[in-house]
Amino acid sequence: MARRATASLCGFAGMAALVAAISTMTVTAVSAHPHVWVTMTSEVVYAPDGSVTGVRHAWTFDDMYSAFATQGIESKTKGVFTREELAPLAAENATSLKEFEFFTFAKLDGRKAEFGDATDYWAEYKDSLLTLHFTLPLQTPAKARRVDLEVYDPTYFVDFSFAKENPLVLKNAPSNCQLSVKKPSDAEVNAKIQSLGEAFFAQADASNYGANFANKVSVRCR
Amino acid sequence: MRLQGLLRRALPGGERSDDRRHGKFGWALLAVGGLAAVLLLLVMTGAFDSAFAQGSPFGMRPSARAAPEFGGIVGWLLAKQAEFYRMLSGLIRAAKVDGAAVWGLLGLSFIYGIFHAAGPGHGKAVISSYLLANEETWRRGITLSFASSLLQASVAVLLVGIAAVALNATAKSMNSAVRAIEMVSYGLIALVGIRLTWVKGRAFIHSLRDWRARQVGDDPAPLAPIAHDHTHAAHEPPHSHVHGHGHAHAHEHAHAEHAHHGEGGHDHAAHDHSAHAHAHHHHQHATAAMHQHDEQRHETHDHAAHEHDDHCGHSHGPDPEQLAGSGGWQRGLSAIIAVGLRPCSGAILVLVFALAQGLFWAGVASTFVMGLGTAITVATIATFAVGAKSVAKRIAAHRAGGGVFILRGVEAAAAVLVLFFGVALLAGYMVTERMI
Repeated sequence: MARRATASLCGFAGMAALVAAISTMTVTAVSAHPHVWVTMTSEVVYAPDGSVTGVRHAWTFDDMYSAFATQGIESKTKGVFTREELAPLAAENATSLKEFEFFTFAKLDGRKAEFGDATDYWAEYKDSLLTLHFTLPLQTPAKARRVDLEVYDPTYFVDFSFAKENPLVLKNAPSNCQLSVKKPSDAEVNAKIQSLGEAFFAQADASNYGANFANKVSVRCR
Repeated sequence: MRLQGLLRRALPGGERSDDRRHGKFGWALLAVGGLAAVLLLLVMTGAFDSAFAQGSPFGMRPSARAAPEFGGIVGWLLAKQAEFYRMLSGLIRAAKVDGAAVWGLLGLSFIYGIFHAAGPGHGKAVISSYLLANEETWRRGITLSFASSLLQASVAVLLVGIAAVALNATAKSMNSAVRAIEMVSYGLIALVGIRLTWVKGRAFIHSLRDWRARQVGDDPAPLAPIAHDHTHAAHEPPHSHVHGHGHAHAHEHAHAEHAHHGEGGHDHAAHDHSAHAHAHHHHQHATAAMHQHDEQRHETHDHAAHEHDDHCGHSHGPDPEQLAGSGGWQRGLSAIIAVGLRPCSGAILVLVFALAQGLFWAGVASTFVMGLGTAITVATIATFAVGAKSVAKRIAAHRAGGGVFILRGVEAAAAVLVLFFGVALLAGYMVTERMI
């Protein structure tokens, strides 16, 4: 009997090992690290009456993706692309990004804003970096005391962050409106660091970690 | 009708009508048990949250959240590999002016490969589940890992070499090519999953019947070697000629392989002795020579000449030369192709970037070194999977019928998992690396 009981215990241990193995694999099967980095400068566009009409983005891609995206595009001078030469690329992106809701999630006074199709899109190539410009018009322009703008890829294939300089410009905004770039709060950073554990802190330079949060901005009007 | 014959074997003297009833019961239990196991695992690991985040049919999105946050080791791994990846472009650029930078590039590519494979990705999950579902050795696990990584690197180099270098194709057409390859790859994973589920599901039912029979018969562990005949119905393996080798091969094989290999051109899961009513879990053949089965002899295959003992684990694995032989390669080939066919997004980006810098060869070298790093990590995970399986098998050997039953259940669940990965990837429900 004793032998049987021991065997049963071992059996549980073995199954636990198997389950752990499969669990590890399942976890590893769900997502990827970013392969594309985008540095953004954006504008919140206002109508003369003070209502928000849309968001205008300028997304600059990292060097590798810039090379990939421009691969095979005909140009008069090798390695230099004009706005005209890049027009088909800009159009394609403006269309295909729709599927991903342009990775742009905005709230007007806490309510989710719906965007229409991208307009005024064009691309430029400077210093080996590709920048895509486009405007996202709100389906229904509205006045809002508070605008929250967040840009992210839920699958984290693309890493978005606002530029350090002039991350967001307010265009024709009422004078009582102010920009506030949401820096991570101390609590958020602490929670993050704790979740990473002491080992991370000891080994890695954690000073840049807050950059992961720098994809949210908001506008407040008094 | 093969199935009914199979079930009858498991319960000698059982009535035919009884068989049917039990058959239904078995299928139901298999379906419920397998699904429950898979669902439990997925819920436990929170896979549903992330796996269905993108393109969900219910329109669910993680609301008001930044990039998915990974804590602990996974988070650290992700942060690190992203950092390494970003350093690659700088080193490629540096290699343009300073040849010595290539060494740095290769070193970083290797480390990136190791880290990259340790992070998320469906390849490891499929390979590991595949290894769990099958009777495989660690050697085979490592071979599978290296072969699929090598194939993956080769596909990336070939794709960029042909599309970008030779045809000067655009990113758009390369994306289309990748997507087409992806679909084929995912479809193959689903096919491998379907076949595994079918074979392992049957083996599971077999062992379930065996276990139940033992419960009823109150005969927990028959120990003595008992001679018994195999009818053709029970003996005939569910031949699945995925790899296109003919019948001639199917009926001529070493018996060692015959009993242990559940995967490949011909599948002998249904023939597994551990699932027999007599519980001869471990048998060694008096003659290790090649058996020449013709149809007549196959009809009544006498096992009396074989030695049996009461251990479950088929501990004697295939010899190295067997692994290298045609049968050895063919059995794992479907998995290698299914997993390795799809090129890694990172490798394609590196290759195109290197091409744009006029250093395509550096990109090629980087891609293969990356593949080497990936192979090492995947092989480690695969070895763990094989090790866990062999531990469980050894334990199952001590647990009479119940252990085998659980073991077969785990195999069946792993088989369903492979199928799930294939279907989820095909349907686009599962987030994996993608190009935009």
